[in-house]
Amino acid sequence: MSSTESALQAGSWRKTVHLLRSLIGKHPADFFTAVFGAAMFALLTVASTVALDYVVDDVIGPRFDDGRVADATLWTGVALISGIAVLRASAVVVRRTFAGRAQFKTARSLNADVVDRFAAQPVTWHQRQNTGELVARAGVDVDASIEVMAPLPFASSTILLVLVAATRMLMVDVPLGLIGVAAFPALIVSNVVFQHKVERHYDQAQAELGRLSSAVHESFDGVMVVKVFGAERRETERLATIAGSLRATRRKAIRVRSMFDAFVDTLPTVVNILLLVVGAYRIEAGAMTVGALTSFIYLFTLLSLPLRLIGFALSSLPVSRAGHTRIETLLAEPIEPDPAGAIDVAPHGVGLAAHSVSFAYEPGRPILDDVSFSIPAGRTVALVGATGSGKSTLLSVLAGLLGPDTGAVQRSSGACSLVFQEALLLASSIADNVSLGGRHSDAEINAALSRSAAADFVNAMPGGATASLGERGVSLSGGQRQRVALARALVRRPSVLLLDDTTSALDASTEAEVLASLRDTLTEATVVIVASRPSTIGLADEVMYLASGRIVAYGLHEDLAATLPDYAELVSAYEVDRGTA
Amino acid sequence: MIWTATNEPTGTGHGSGGAVATIGRGVKIVPELREGLGLTLFFASLGAAGRVSVPILIHQAIDRGLRRNDVRPNTVVVLGAIGMLIVLVGAVGQRTAVARLGYRSEDALYALRVKLFDHIHRLSLADHVDERRGALVSRVTSDIETLTMFFSWGAIAWLLDGVVIILVAAVMLSYDWMLALIVFVVVAPLIVVLKRVQNHLVRTYDSVRSDTASLYGQVGEMVTAAEMLRAYGATDELAGRVKQSARRRTKSQVRAGTIGALLFPSGELFGALAVSAVVLVGVWRGPGSGLTAGSIVGFVFLTYRFLEPIAELTEVLDQTQTAVAGFRRILGVLDTPIGPPEPDSPAALPIGPLPIDLRNVTYAYRPRPGADDSSDPALRDVSLTIPSGQRVAIVGATGSGKSTMALLIARFADPATGAVLLGGIDARQVANADIRSRLLLVPQAPFLFDGTILSNLEFARPGSSYADVEQAIDDVGLTDWLDALPDGLSTQVGERGEQISAGERQLVALIRAALAAPDILILDEATSAVDPLTEVRSARALERLSAGRTTIAIAHRLSTAARAERVIVMDQARLVEDGTHEDLLAANGRYAELYDAWLNATAT
Repeated sequence: MSSTESALQAGSWRKTVHLLRSLIGKHPADFFTAVFGAAMFALLTVASTVALDYVVDDVIGPRFDDGRVADATLWTGVALISGIAVLRASAVVVRRTFAGRAQFKTARSLNADVVDRFAAQPVTWHQRQNTGELVARAGVDVDASIEVMAPLPFASSTILLVLVAATRMLMVDVPLGLIGVAAFPALIVSNVVFQHKVERHYDQAQAELGRLSSAVHESFDGVMVVKVFGAERRETERLATIAGSLRATRRKAIRVRSMFDAFVDTLPTVVNILLLVVGAYRIEAGAMTVGALTSFIYLFTLLSLPLRLIGFALSSLPVSRAGHTRIETLLAEPIEPDPAGAIDVAPHGVGLAAHSVSFAYEPGRPILDDVSFSIPAGRTVALVGATGSGKSTLLSVLAGLLGPDTGAVQRSSGACSLVFQEALLLASSIADNVSLGGRHSDAEINAALSRSAAADFVNAMPGGATASLGERGVSLSGGQRQRVALARALVRRPSVLLLDDTTSALDASTEAEVLASLRDTLTEATVVIVASRPSTIGLADEVMYLASGRIVAYGLHEDLAATLPDYAELVSAYEVDRGTA
Repeated sequence: MIWTATNEPTGTGHGSGGAVATIGRGVKIVPELREGLGLTLFFASLGAAGRVSVPILIHQAIDRGLRRNDVRPNTVVVLGAIGMLIVLVGAVGQRTAVARLGYRSEDALYALRVKLFDHIHRLSLADHVDERRGALVSRVTSDIETLTMFFSWGAIAWLLDGVVIILVAAVMLSYDWMLALIVFVVVAPLIVVLKRVQNHLVRTYDSVRSDTASLYGQVGEMVTAAEMLRAYGATDELAGRVKQSARRRTKSQVRAGTIGALLFPSGELFGALAVSAVVLVGVWRGPGSGLTAGSIVGFVFLTYRFLEPIAELTEVLDQTQTAVAGFRRILGVLDTPIGPPEPDSPAALPIGPLPIDLRNVTYAYRPRPGADDSSDPALRDVSLTIPSGQRVAIVGATGSGKSTMALLIARFADPATGAVLLGGIDARQVANADIRSRLLLVPQAPFLFDGTILSNLEFARPGSSYADVEQAIDDVGLTDWLDALPDGLSTQVGERGEQISAGERQLVALIRAALAAPDILILDEATSAVDPLTEVRSARALERLSAGRTTIAIAHRLSTAARAERVIVMDQARLVEDGTHEDLLAANGRYAELYDAWLNATAT
């Protein structure tokens, strides 16, 4: 189904009114100024045809039939044509300027609404969302929502234009006026009908283009695999097939559109010829003048663009409605409570504690099951467990990013920093990535960078910590990114530091350097570190062993290794590795 | 990853060559664009004749059928019939011209796209760094789309409007040269104004585009990093930055909108001025000058017809510039030489064992853009012979050149000096397909295509039977692993294989390698830890995969080196040690140093 068709369907009327109201309601002054400009344009368009009528009947006619015309009359005619043109141009400037302002300011407001909502929703909400979808809400959906606002003032004034033009034609001569009045709906309907025929193909082409884009993206993304298997030609053929079906759809669209364009361009001309022929009889009958007939013909040549705009406005309506509905659905979701507020302050001497903490994403499938522990302040604990045992989830609960379903978390007062397994850096400077908008002096930032063993490579960059990351900036290796992310945690001087396998991308000697630095500087802080390498476990005072969301044991590494075969096997994956050496 | 060396972003194609030169080169590359253009122009002329007919019809009707006190409706009917005929023929002409141009351009763009797919797939890995991926995708999508947009609007406008302008100008001159000149003189400044403002507008649109890109980018960051931002209380800070970006974009948009608003009605304004001048001069000269009432009214309509296409052309000028810029970027990619070039007359690799020889190999990556010093060689004068069937580990610190060596052996790049020989033949003399069928590199983070495990396996050897696949799985001892998966071989792996774990992706890559059954296997070992069970599986599979094959492992774990028959030690682009694990430890050199550091790191 094409978008225009759905725009015309019953039931969508109320939704359309709702859409227009909420879009226009954001910046009504700009929008109605544009509508005013458009209305003036409509009136001045009819006025310009009246001016032509005057010039033909009172200036050109007398001069060539009678041989003379008064200078005053000539100048009046010329002044009318030029003057009305200047006013009409001004009306266009007003309409377009303010339609643009209304449209773009509305986009800004919608974007702000969506972004505020992103900021207000907690991590649990974000985890349920698809990031691509969210980006679309604040980006392309916003831009789609406002699409209808551009042609709207012009399209609405076209209705006025049609009414005024029809009235004038009927007032001048009823039979000829009737031809004109009958032509209007024919022109509008043919525009709308063709628009929808063409759109069906364009919609399909758009979908195929999307398919092509993602196939291309995947193919280039996997170019290494393509190359190692020598599959370049195969991949080109696969993409060519998709591009071929896009071409076939586009060719269909071209066939329909070329007919549409020729038809809507020709229709007003055909009407004009009819007007001329019928007009000749009316002039013979003395019912009207040559000037009036000329002005009617001129009117129809002026009308073809405004009539097309009705088609544009109708076709952009469903696009806007779809985008706006998606935004409204997002905004209608209630703001979920922030679990960070539910964390209690731990009693003196305790750094971090959990009391019967359970957590599940889906009921019946607990990720954390009745987890309880208490870590004295200043202690470093290694969190060990197999993949999927709930280590990362536990850290998120302890950091207050996820709220436990039951139970409670206590933390000593002061900052709590969680360093994620995957180091996420923003496309700004290294210093900004460390401070993240917080108030930290350059000295503090540099100190944090050297404590995370990042100072050497940062200082070697052009601009040092002010070097910017991202597409046009410097690129960092995985290990370098992890160290910048660690500096981000350290600069906050946390009383509780949670490290989620943070050193996994570092080579052995750099890891040793980072761990040594942590040992020296984190004398006060309570640290929980997810560990998969023996060297990392070696940093900790004690080990907490997690299996299937439960704490199986909490104690010294040697004790756990001696008493728990599962634990011993898990840790010995590396020992086995070494044993063969 | 081996391939992240930042290289010169070739083919972004800034500057170099004007619009005409670009179009000329484009037509040479896609000759489809020029095919049948003559006939298309003929049909466009018919269409233009249709558009010019109405002013002439009005002129004739007024002078012959609508004279004051001498109205002859029958004459007007005859004129109307003739006019109708011309208009209908014109409509058919316009339709045919538009369709022909559209079909041709779709064919041309399809050919161009396929050319680009092929070329980009053959570009060197150095041109496929992550930072350039988006740009390459843009070349075959959005840049081609700017051409599509151009051919479905801009080119049609140039074609039809161009013919209309010429035809109307000719008719005006034939009516009355003096009035025609007056119109040209009044309209001339319009063209200057339009060109000026248009340039300004294009720049403003550019900033709208880049502001939009950075807004979308920041929203993307805010959403992707939602968890991290909350962990550091930086959510509001980022929201503030996004809004700041949105404000900046709105400013550019409003500026562009305002410039466009001023530009848009200028055509009509100049049209009205020209009409005023025509009326003024025409009436002043009067009946004695050969002019008639009808010819003046006809001239007024001709003036409007003359201005219409000019205004339309200014609307598509921006589009035209965008399309030319897109075309230029596309040509830039096609100008980028493809990866190691194919030999003109390839030599076949010998059947049977394939020893590897490196002879005084030196290689340097292309310097980063903007860096003034040429980059240091990543390999310096390396010579090495690996006999067929040997299991070799290459070790060394990050940046020591071990990955580069693998890259050159696999012929994903050619040495600057020296040579790499496979089976005694210079790799540069061997066809790419030949090398690929005998040598396989398994990258650190194997990439899977969206689909099933089976479809990813079949990628290694299209047309392989189910039995082949099962045999390969069995060869690497992963049958029990696959059987344990709920959907087995039909397991969906998701985009980039991200629905299964990193460890499982490695396992799929190993089966894929077994199915390809290469003579030489180059393994880039993963650095990040996967869960221990998978690790053990993967190690066992590797063991079986390397049996009976020349195997070169880029070892990050020194336990791999310890198990190898031979260890090659790289340090600062040079081969510094070569021997067995035991010999090298005993030698107490660079290897012993690396091994000690590793032992300490993994010690409990």
